[in-house]
Amino acid sequence: MKLLVPLKQVPDSTMRIKVAPDGKSIVTEGITWSISPYDEYAVEMALEQKDADPSTTVSVVTVGPVRAKDALRAALAMGCDDGTFVTSDENAAPLVVARALAKFVEQKQPDLVLCGRQASDDDQGFVGPALATILGWPHVATVTKFAPADGGIEIWREVEGGHEVWKASGPALVTVQKSDKEPRYASLPGIMKAKKKELPELALSSLGVDAAAPKIEVVKMETPPQRGGGKILKAADGDAASVAAELVRLLRDEAKVL
Amino acid sequence: MDFDLTPEQEQIRKLAKDFADREIAPGARERDREQRFPAEILAKMAPLGFLGGPVPEQYGGMGIDYISHALITEEVGRADSSVRTTLSVQISLVELTILKFGTPKQKQAWLPRLCRGEVIGCFGLTEPASGTDAAALQTTAIKDGDDWIINGRKMWISNGGVSQLALIFARTDAKAPKTKGITAFLLSREHQPYGSPPIHGKLGLRSSDTSELVFEDVRVPDSMRLGELGQGFAIAMAALDSGRYSVAAGAVGVAQACLDASVSYATQRQTFGKPIAAHQLVQEMLADMTVETEAARLLVWRAGAVKNKGLPSTRETSIAKLYAAEAAQRCADMAIQIHGGYGFSDEFPVERYWRDARVNRLYEGTTQIQKLIIGRAITGIDAVAG
Repeated sequence: MKLLVPLKQVPDSTMRIKVAPDGKSIVTEGITWSISPYDEYAVEMALEQKDADPSTTVSVVTVGPVRAKDALRAALAMGCDDGTFVTSDENAAPLVVARALAKFVEQKQPDLVLCGRQASDDDQGFVGPALATILGWPHVATVTKFAPADGGIEIWREVEGGHEVWKASGPALVTVQKSDKEPRYASLPGIMKAKKKELPELALSSLGVDAAAPKIEVVKMETPPQRGGGKILKAADGDAASVAAELVRLLRDEAKVL
Repeated sequence: MDFDLTPEQEQIRKLAKDFADREIAPGARERDREQRFPAEILAKMAPLGFLGGPVPEQYGGMGIDYISHALITEEVGRADSSVRTTLSVQISLVELTILKFGTPKQKQAWLPRLCRGEVIGCFGLTEPASGTDAAALQTTAIKDGDDWIINGRKMWISNGGVSQLALIFARTDAKAPKTKGITAFLLSREHQPYGSPPIHGKLGLRSSDTSELVFEDVRVPDSMRLGELGQGFAIAMAALDSGRYSVAAGAVGVAQACLDASVSYATQRQTFGKPIAAHQLVQEMLADMTVETEAARLLVWRAGAVKNKGLPSTRETSIAKLYAAEAAQRCADMAIQIHGGYGFSDEFPVERYWRDARVNRLYEGTTQIQKLIIGRAITGIDAVAG
C-alpha cells in the first residue's frame, strides 16, 4: 500500500506567539517550527499501517519556504520512507498549495492521501478537501482509523457520540483527527537513517500549476484580550453557607456559567 | 569557528527536549519524594536509542558524535538529574570503557545489550575508605587456576542495585606500586553474584539507585578481566574522564532548568505592583545565571569538539566539568533566592535542582581534583601523586 502524507510546518505549539510591529504577521525570530499536530497524527496513522504491513510505503511532501525542509526530516526520522520538498514563497495561497500537491499526487499515485484535519497556525482546514476536489477523489473528514479491506480501504470517521465506517473502493483522501495513539517520537536510529536520505526539491513554478487564486489577505492580527483578575471570596465575607450562596450567585449572574 | 548545530544535532536536541519535557520532568518530584528508580523511563528511552549514545552501530549503539551526546545528556539533566545519572553511568562509565578496553568478544557480549537497556551496568571504583585516593582501594582479586577470587566492598555505586553487570576494580598485585597493582573486571550478576545493599538518605539524586557492592569470594573467569593485568588504574582514570564529560553536560541542563524556572517565576510573581523581574537586583541574578549557563555549555561543547577529533581531552573535560558543576550550584542557589519561600518547598522544582546539583561537585572527581588536573596540565607538576 502506498501512503502519502502532505505536511505543513507551523510554529511549535509551545511557542508564545507575538504580533509583529506591522500588525498583520507574527514575529518569526526565535520561533521553533514543527510539523502541524494533526499532520503528525496523520504520519502516525500511516506509520501504524507500515508497522502492521512492512510492504507499506509512507511518503511525505511539503510545500513551503526553505525552513520547511526540517519538517520533512522530522517525518523521516519518525520512520517515513521518503520525502519531497516543493519550494515556495513564505505565504503561498492555499489553493495554489493544493494544486501543487495534486500534481505531485498524480506523479506519485498513492492509494491513500492522509492530511491533518487542519493546520494549527491558520486553522483553515482548506488544503485537504481542496486537494481531493482537484483530484476528483473521494474525501472523508475527521478520520481516526483506516484499514485495507476487500477491494478497498475501510475508513473510520468520528461523529458525535460514535463513529461511522466508510469504504473507499479506489484511491481516496482522508483528513485525520486527533486519536488516542500519540504520534511516536523520532528515534536516534531514525534520525541517523534520515540523515542519509536525499530530499528531492521541486520548485513550485516547475510543477506548472495555475498561480491565480482568490487573493486572501490578513488585514489585522490581534492577541486575545488580557484576562481580568479572579475574584476570591474570603472567610471574612460570611459563614460557609453564605459564601457558597454568594459563589452560586456570582457564577450564575456575573460569570453566567450556571 | 562555527557555533551552529548541524540539522541532525538540532533534531536530536529537539527529540531529547520533547522526551524530557513529556516523559521525564512530569514525574520527577514524585520519584524524588518516593526515592523510586525510574525504570519505566529507561524502558521508554531504550528503543529511541538514548542508551547507546556514541557507541558505534556495529555494537548496537547509535554512533552519534560527542556534541549530540552532550545535547541529549543536557536535556535529560534539565528534567531530572537522577535519570541523567543513570544514563551517565550506563553510557560513559560502562559502555564507553568496554568499547575502549574490551576484547572483541567482550564488546560483542555486552555492548548491544547495554545499548538496548536489557542490561544495566554499574561502575565500582570507590570504596568505604577510598574515594579521591582511588588507588588506595582494598578490594582484592587472587588468582586461582584460570579464575580470580574477588573479595571486598564498594561504596556510593550508582545503578548498583539495579545492575546486571558491574565493572569493578580490584588489587591483583599487593607488591606493585599502588597505581600499578590494580586490574579491572566485568562481573555478570547472573554468574558472578555480588551483593548490593541499598544506600538511602541521600541529599539529592534521590530517585537514582545507589548501593554498596559486596564481594564475598566471587569467582570470576580470567575471560572477564577488562584490559591488561595491572592496567586497572589507567582504565579507571580513562572512564572517569569520559564520565566527567557526561556530568558536565548534565550540570548544564540543571543550570538551564534553574534559569527557565526563574524567568518564568520572575515574570509572573508581583511585588510592589510589578513583576519581580522588573527589580534590578532580580534581573541581575537572571543575567548572571544566563552567563553561567552559556559559558558552561560552551565549555562542554569545546570538550566535545576535541573528543570528536579523537584527541586527548582530559584538560578540556576537567575545565568543563569543574565550571559546569559549580555554575549549576550557583544557578540553583540564585533560583531559590528568586523564588523566595516557594523556592524552599518542593511546590517548585528549584529546591530539587539545588540538592541534585550538589553531587556534581563531588562525583567523577571533586572540584578540587579537577583543579589539580588542570593545574597539572598547565605546570607539568602532578600535585595528586605528590
